[in-house]
Amino acid sequence: MTRAAALLLAAALAGHAASAAQAAAPRMTVSVDRTAVATKLGHTFVIRSTLTNHSATPAAGLIAHLNVLSLEPSLYVDPEDWSSHRTRYLTPIPAHGSITLSWKLAAVNAGDLGVYIAALPRSGRAVDPTTGPLVHVTIADRRTLDAGGILPLALGIPALLALTTALLKTFRLRASRAGSSSGRALRT
Amino acid sequence: MTAAVEANGVGKRYGSLVALEDLSFTAEQGEILGVLGPNGAGKTTAIRILTTILEPTHGTFTVAGVPHTRPAEIRRRTGVLPESAGYPERQTAEEYLRYHARLFGQSRESARTTAAALLDQVGLGDRTKSLIGTHSRGMRQRLGIARALVNHPQVVVLDEPTLGLDPAGQQQMLAIIRRLTAESGATVLLCTHLLAEVEETCTRVLILSRGRVVAQGTIAEVARRAAAPRTATIRIAAEDGERAEAALSPLKVEAAGATLRVFLDGADSNEPLRLLVAARIDVHAYELEAARLSDAFLAMTEAP
Amino acid sequence: MRGAGIVLTQELRDLWLDGRALALSLAFSLLLSVIAYLVASNRALNFLEQRETVNLTLQVAVAIGALLALLTAADAVSGERERRTLESLLLTPVSRLALVTGKLLGALSLWLAAFAITVAYVWFLGRGVGIAGDALASGIVVGTLLAVFLTSFGILLSIFSPSNRVSLSLSLFLLLALFAPTQLPSGATSGWAGDLLLRVNPLTAGEHYIGRIVVNGRAWNEDLVWLASPAAAAAVFAALALAIGAHYVRLGGGGSE
Repeated sequence: MTRAAALLLAAALAGHAASAAQAAAPRMTVSVDRTAVATKLGHTFVIRSTLTNHSATPAAGLIAHLNVLSLEPSLYVDPEDWSSHRTRYLTPIPAHGSITLSWKLAAVNAGDLGVYIAALPRSGRAVDPTTGPLVHVTIADRRTLDAGGILPLALGIPALLALTTALLKTFRLRASRAGSSSGRALRT
Repeated sequence: MTAAVEANGVGKRYGSLVALEDLSFTAEQGEILGVLGPNGAGKTTAIRILTTILEPTHGTFTVAGVPHTRPAEIRRRTGVLPESAGYPERQTAEEYLRYHARLFGQSRESARTTAAALLDQVGLGDRTKSLIGTHSRGMRQRLGIARALVNHPQVVVLDEPTLGLDPAGQQQMLAIIRRLTAESGATVLLCTHLLAEVEETCTRVLILSRGRVVAQGTIAEVARRAAAPRTATIRIAAEDGERAEAALSPLKVEAAGATLRVFLDGADSNEPLRLLVAARIDVHAYELEAARLSDAFLAMTEAP
Repeated sequence: MRGAGIVLTQELRDLWLDGRALALSLAFSLLLSVIAYLVASNRALNFLEQRETVNLTLQVAVAIGALLALLTAADAVSGERERRTLESLLLTPVSRLALVTGKLLGALSLWLAAFAITVAYVWFLGRGVGIAGDALASGIVVGTLLAVFLTSFGILLSIFSPSNRVSLSLSLFLLLALFAPTQLPSGATSGWAGDLLLRVNPLTAGEHYIGRIVVNGRAWNEDLVWLASPAAAAAVFAALALAIGAHYVRLGGGGSE
């Protein structure tokens, strides 16, 4: 093998090794602050996700997207009900830098659900999104309304207003009659 | 002394319709001026202009020395009972007067005192707490007069104050008006179509017809200007009765014993006297009946 | 303005001590009680539907509160004219501006009372889903803007209407016209024209803003653009009512003498 051929072979092998190394070390990773959440129906909770750019060049034109799915076949989940800001258009992440996003969700249904964040390019290229770990969310059911509890209110407020109205009318009528009956009647 | 009310050439037109034309008059301080006229004569229009409810199309006027360009100041010094005024049915008389006293700038305490005093003066002292909805027509008119006096006005304008009242009520109302205005010394414009009211109450009259002033002055002046005396009452000796009737045969005569009432019907006022003297009949008394305001009113306001 | 304060005080006495406004408030509270009880006794109601129920309660409160204020304002001048009590008011030295201001504020008390009654119901319905505070805050802002707009409009109608019947009829027609777009199918309002209609109409814009906060859980500042129409309507018509009222409150209707 000539020296030149050997150098070429070495360069090709180095390039392949670099690609293999890149494939082994991802350019972008998504992590979350917790992988399990337990809360009650109607409460809100926050998940923080960190997008880290491991490459030597800034990562621009990225979108972070929140996904909510039901882990129970019988439980219907509409992600839009859980969070109204599920898509974030990110500013460029500097080389070897990171960005942390807070996602506020409302516990709309009771049951077991999964939440994960995905990062993908805005360009729409057919590349695999980078996803973070699934956050297991357990929502406990609770009774938020009580028919018995509403009765004092439903009856009390109208009763109070009715009583006030009746008292006022009675008071005015009595005062008027007292004013009319005292003294002698005038002819005109 | 400045006139309490002075109008110069005040007029009001609605397009081609002349509601009031060249209203010029003065009302002196302390006098009661009757404003007369048949329906549609322009009385209420005149009143509303002078009380700043309407703006005149032309002319100027002052009320209580305030020119018409300062309507709020005029309203401060004027008290008005509008024709057919309404009253809030669900307020008491006292509340109503207190409210208006406050609107005229009185304090709460002063308004309360004023309301109580006025209600006593108009005879509603025992109806202060009753709702106006329970008041009779006469009571409401009294309340209206009280309201017209709530700001101790210098000029009081009363538009048909006895409207809808029975004769006794009318008398009571006029008595109240005379008493209260005499006590306050206010100048009164009494707008009415009832001549008896004017003759009883007013010092001078202003007669409107079809939007124009047709006469103004004292009652006697206005009556004299309009018509000659209509009848003469003559007293003679009883035994001369038949001869006197014969002598006065050219004229219509009503005989009642020794008293003859002769209808002149345009004849000279001395004609009955001449006829009796010519018949050598002694005349014990000869009296000409003065012309009445109603005669003048009808003469000046009848259709052409 | 002292005169406006005196007029306002009397308006409040006439409305509330007389009992008319209390009777209307009683009817309003009965309606809310029925809605609240039906919701509370529904065991199948889920979290979102409960939010929507809070939204519905608030929308009803805003609509009826504004309606009561509008009808009171529509009676303000034309009613006095018909009852023949306007002339006595015009004969006082109080300015026309003060008169209109006092009556406008008096009419607004109907809205404030309706909202005060609503607080208890919304608190009860919304506390379980954590939106009571946001709902009430958005409700008072939107409701007040709409009430000011409608009350001012009612005053204008009252000044110019030849009779009270005309004034009240036109007021009801206005309210129905403003509510009409809410009854259109969602497809009809999905294009640019429909969207513009929803945004320009103060009533639909205000309802939309409340819905975004109560049902969708948005922050109060995220959809502020939807408040532009109610705010503009309130400002413009309040200014018009006061400016026109200062010069055109007259004995005759239609601005005539």
